[in-house]
Amino acid sequence: MENLLTFLSRHFHWLLFLILEAVSVVMIFHYNNYQASVWISSANRVAGQIYSWQSEVERYFSQGRQNELLTQRNIMLEYKLDQLRELLLSQSEADSLATIQMLQRDSAMTEFRLIPAKVVSNSAMSADNLITLNKGSNDGVRPDMGVVCGNGIVGVVYLTSSHYSVVIPALNKRSRISCSIRGKDYFGYLTWTGGDPTKAYVEDMPRHAKFKKGDWVETSGYSSIFPHGVSVGQIEKIFNSKDGLSYRLQVHLSTDFANLRDVCIINDSGMLERMRLKEAATDSLMLVPIKE
Amino acid sequence: MKTDSLKRLLRLCLFVLAQALVFNRILIFGCATPLLYVYFVITFPRSYPQWGLLLWSFVMGLLIDMFANTPGIACASLTLIALLQPYMLKLFLPRDADEHIAASAKTLGWSQFASLASILTLIYCTVFYTIEAFTFFNWLQWLQSVGGSTVLTMLLILTFETVKK
Repeated sequence: MENLLTFLSRHFHWLLFLILEAVSVVMIFHYNNYQASVWISSANRVAGQIYSWQSEVERYFSQGRQNELLTQRNIMLEYKLDQLRELLLSQSEADSLATIQMLQRDSAMTEFRLIPAKVVSNSAMSADNLITLNKGSNDGVRPDMGVVCGNGIVGVVYLTSSHYSVVIPALNKRSRISCSIRGKDYFGYLTWTGGDPTKAYVEDMPRHAKFKKGDWVETSGYSSIFPHGVSVGQIEKIFNSKDGLSYRLQVHLSTDFANLRDVCIINDSGMLERMRLKEAATDSLMLVPIKE
Repeated sequence: MKTDSLKRLLRLCLFVLAQALVFNRILIFGCATPLLYVYFVITFPRSYPQWGLLLWSFVMGLLIDMFANTPGIACASLTLIALLQPYMLKLFLPRDADEHIAASAKTLGWSQFASLASILTLIYCTVFYTIEAFTFFNWLQWLQSVGGSTVLTMLLILTFETVKK
């Protein structure tokens, strides 16, 4: 007995080591367990608070640059508005249908409500980048909401605590955002393979699609997370996909992920309805076997 | 003993904050990030109980993970370093060493301390990036990250040693 005790006390640290390692391994493999992960990620209160202090300080120093960007963006939008107005005028006499469609699209946008939020922690370097925002479930944020900034898409909300939320940005290898080419409506999905934070890839673009370098890529609106037409980036290079059946486009992202401050979370009230309908459709298809 | 623990706690908080607010944002050549908090584990004295060292390191790893959104990765690798530290320290101690000796450039001499610190840092970076690469493996990126981070961390540790009185 005494021998056993002395043995234990001498080798206690090995036992402790094994226990602690076991806890760590459990943490590594159970990050997807929602309840636990809110506590050991930067969505928890302490880390979130410290990060928001830091970003307060940094925001103070970067306001000039942000203003500059917003002004640029404003100018661009005004220019586009002007173009559209001209288009409308020229078409209104010949074809009033297009006008009506355009107005309808505008009214569809009112379905969305935007929740402004500030980025409190951000990375653009590792393979699994995550972004923490200072708005949580108390402000109406729920998982699977889309996040955009003044220049384009940011990502999708993954976890929320009462005051903070964690976003999977487009710069994450798990991110799959449905997107299409502006004005062409061919669609694929956006992926990122690590490395350069300004470049991402659009996969599964069909072979018969017509596009050229410099064309804009935007969200397709099929994923029910983002509305149609949020800009993603410009096509830089065009490759064949591995199986040769589709194109793979290298896109220069319009969002500067390394310098992200103010973002908006998209609260789409119609999303829940659409998702339910889609689930119902999938379920009923599985119930009724299709005869060939 | 109590003041010693308090001092350690303070130092732990400082290292974690420095890592979260400054060092995690540094990325040189797209691969090297300084992981300075290993220094905290390296400088524990010889007489310190091993279970205490393990617990300190685990807590530190947990805090680092919390800030960097890497659950379990720093925890697992830092606990491993805490297990190895006493054995590695024994290898580099002079024969007539004091019972309470702690690793530093002054007590071990520059070359001895540098080799001890670099071996532990290299092991740490290797383990850390290997676990991180678990699902996303890219040989070149992995090698660059391990090498770059080790060199950068060592530079910082040696700078700290020089500045420290």
